[in-house]
Amino acid sequence: MADFIDGSENVTVHGILNWILLLVIFSIITVIGNYIGYEHPMADSLVGMGILSLITLIGVWMERELPFNISSILYISIIGILIALPGMPTSDFVLYYVSQVELLSIVTVFLAYVGIGMGKSWDEFKALGWRAVVITVLVIASTYYGAAIVAHVILVLTGVPAV
Amino acid sequence: MLILVIIAELIGTINIPLTKDVSITIMPLIYTIILGLVFYLAKPIKWIQRKQARIAEGAMMLFIGVLIAKLAISSGQSIHLIFEMGPALILQELGHLATILVLPIALLLGFKEEAIGMTNSIGREPNVAVVVDKFGFNSPQSRGVFAIFIIGTVIGTIFISFLVTLSLSFLPLHPYAFAMASGVGSASMNAAAIGPTLAAFPGMETSIEAFAGFSNLLSFCVGIYIVIFIAMPLTEKLYYWLEPKIGKESIVEKKMEDE
Repeated sequence: MADFIDGSENVTVHGILNWILLLVIFSIITVIGNYIGYEHPMADSLVGMGILSLITLIGVWMERELPFNISSILYISIIGILIALPGMPTSDFVLYYVSQVELLSIVTVFLAYVGIGMGKSWDEFKALGWRAVVITVLVIASTYYGAAIVAHVILVLTGVPAV
Repeated sequence: MLILVIIAELIGTINIPLTKDVSITIMPLIYTIILGLVFYLAKPIKWIQRKQARIAEGAMMLFIGVLIAKLAISSGQSIHLIFEMGPALILQELGHLATILVLPIALLLGFKEEAIGMTNSIGREPNVAVVVDKFGFNSPQSRGVFAIFIIGTVIGTIFISFLVTLSLSFLPLHPYAFAMASGVGSASMNAAAIGPTLAAFPGMETSIEAFAGFSNLLSFCVGIYIVIFIAMPLTEKLYYWLEPKIGKESIVEKKMEDE
C-alpha cells in the first residue's frame, strides 16, 4: 500500500483509492481521539476532517498532475487560506466544522504514526544521542532569543512605550 | 493505532507543578509517540511490524497534508489580524533564522546532512512537514529534523520555561518582545513560555496573551514560508560552504559500520 504513495509519479485510480482509504482511517481515528480528549460532537468533527481530507487530496493530486515543481504543502495552504478568508461564501461553513477538530487531536494521531515509522530507524536515532540533545537545546534557545531581540528592536524603533 | 490514541487521550493532560509559577505539562501527543515507538520495538506484538511501519511512512505525506490544511484555514480566518498588528510581529519571525547559527556547532559535533534538517528551524510539526516533503522520509535531513522534533517534544516544554524564567531576570527587553518571542511555533512550548512572562509583568496579562498567541499562529502560518523560501536555502548554502572546512567524520555512518 505504501509503495503507491511513495513511488508512483503518475496518479492511478488504484493509487487515489488508497489515499482515500488512508485518509478515511486517519479521520476516524482523529475524530474518536477528538471526542475523548475534547468532547467535540463526533458528527461535526467528522465533517471537519472530511473538509481537511478533501483539501489534502486536491493538493497532493495537483502536485502530481500539474507541470510545476511546487510542493503539495503550498497548494494545500493556498486552498485552505482561500476558502477560510472572511467574506468567502465557503468561510462560515468551513470555519464551523473545522473548528470542531482540535489541531492537537490531529497532531496526536500523526505522532503515533511518526512513533511507529521511527521504530525502523531506532538504531540511527540512538546514534544521534547526546549530541542531538545539545543541538536541540541550542536550536530552541536561538529561535527564542532571535525572535525576542528582533521584536525588541522593532518595538523600540517604532516607539511602542514599554508601559 | 486506534488503541494507542484512545489510551493517550484517556490519560489526558497531566500537570506537574514544580513551584508556584512553574509546572510541567505533559500532553497526550507525547504518549502516543512513545507508545507508537514502544509498540514497534516490543517485537512480541506482531501486528505492528515492519509492514505496518512501511505503511505508516507512506501515509505520512497525506497526514501532513491534513495538518497543513488545518493550519491554513486558521491563517485565512485571521488574515485581518496580520494586517492590523504592525511590523514587529512579522519581522520577529525573521528572528527565528537565528537557529542557522547552530549549524557550525552541529558540524563540529560530527553531523553531516542531518544538520540541515536540524538547524533550519525549531523543528516542530510544520517544519518536519517541509523537510520530509523536500528530502523524503528516509533522507538524513529528515532524520535530523525528526531527532530535533522528538527531543523537543520531550524536553522542549521544560527547557523553554526554564530559559524564559532566566531571561526575564537577566535581559532588559520590552515586555511585548518577550510575549512575541514565546510564539515559537509549538502550542505546548508557547504555553510554557507565557507562564513566567505573565508572572514577571503583572497587570499586562491581556496584551501579553494576545501577542503571544498571535505570534505563535504567525510562526505556524508565516513561519513555514520563511522556512521554505529563506531559512532552508540559507541553511543548505551555509552547509555546503562550511562542511568541507569544519566537517568531522560522520557519527551516524561510523556507528552503523561498527555494528
